[in-house]
Amino acid sequence: MSGAPDSEIELLIERARGGDTRAFEDLARREERALYRHALRIVGTTSDAEDIVQDALFSAWRSIGSFQGLSFRAWLFRIATNRALDQLRSRKRRPELPLDPPDDDDVTWAEPVAPGPDLTQLAGDREALAAVETALASLPAEQRTALLLRDVEGFPYEEIAVITSVEIGTVKSRIHRGRLAVRNVLIARGWRGPDG
Amino acid sequence: MQHPHADLSAYIDGALDPAAQATVDGHLVTCALCRAHVAQLRATVALVQALPDPVPSRRLVPRLATAPAWLAPLRTLMTLASGAAVFLFLASALATNITPLATSGAPSTTAREASGDTAVKGQAPAAQPAGAPTVTPAPAPAVSPYAAFAPGPTASPAADNVVRGPAPVTPDARGDTPPAASAAPAAALNAQDAARTTLSAPQRSPLINPWLWLALAIVCGAAAIALNRRLRASV
Repeated sequence: MSGAPDSEIELLIERARGGDTRAFEDLARREERALYRHALRIVGTTSDAEDIVQDALFSAWRSIGSFQGLSFRAWLFRIATNRALDQLRSRKRRPELPLDPPDDDDVTWAEPVAPGPDLTQLAGDREALAAVETALASLPAEQRTALLLRDVEGFPYEEIAVITSVEIGTVKSRIHRGRLAVRNVLIARGWRGPDG
Repeated sequence: MQHPHADLSAYIDGALDPAAQATVDGHLVTCALCRAHVAQLRATVALVQALPDPVPSRRLVPRLATAPAWLAPLRTLMTLASGAAVFLFLASALATNITPLATSGAPSTTAREASGDTAVKGQAPAAQPAGAPTVTPAPAPAVSPYAAFAPGPTASPAADNVVRGPAPVTPDARGDTPPAASAAPAAALNAQDAARTTLSAPQRSPLINPWLWLALAIVCGAAAIALNRRLRASV
């Protein structure tokens, strides 16, 4: 997220749409790191993530004339997310398979079986963060994507629906299922909830 | 009462419509299990948000503004110019090897002074009254460059003539060139230098200085490399 005022962003977008390359570079630089961390957590490899972001930014420049509706940031994330998911699909031998199992509401809540550290006190714990990374990596890609767009990038559900081209109900379900899966991994490692 | 499990994430995100939000609020007052789950989900979100930020190993923003249309032709031009300068460097180095006079620093200075001296002397006879020794500068370019290396006194008669001829120049003419005039007693000592100067002067054009071409080749080559890198950085 950039701390620049909206009016400044709007001005840069207008200049970029008018062909001002420096304005576009300025806009892209503001999101470069965020796009990279997002792409990296989707595809898992640094070189692929770097290529994806570079390609996405260049593609955004070429098609900036068609930018409308979304926030500029969401538009960039949409392009990068699509490329990252395409990359994952192309890695699969059978690309016709969906990345996600069908969404359903049959979500289970694993309960702690033994006392462990309080989850809310683990934010600085490297082991806990490593466990979260592992748990995220094990999620179906589209759940992971929705969760990252919400919890790391802070997009509202409506924008996540547009970025990932799904209904808002699907977004809600993916985010919830993703969080629950991460939470269950931590619980399985012996942690208990704050009130548990 | 049924637990609103599926709504808890949207609840903590404030993404439920007001009626559903109120329903969950009401349920949480009475359900310790759902309160625990809400707390766990919030803790999970906090952990995801606390993940360290990876940093890319390179710049990912394409350089769009740095590749104007004239950049590529300029790079080609610089590359060709560098090549041409290398060729001229080699050619001029070869040429100065044949006449290695230009490569030494100290004699060069002396030669330059003497050059002025000789030039004046060369003109002097024209202004002299009849009877003064006749000097014909014409033989100078015709003399073999190797003559310059011969000891002064035993130099070829032509070269000797050129050097010694102007020696008895009139005081007036010498007065115009004080350094040369003061060096008059050392005319014999300078004879060899003067001879060299007379002989090499027509070839001391800066264009034949190999270091000039080498410097030009380096500058053009560096410019070509810089332009090439700039072009490659642009998408």
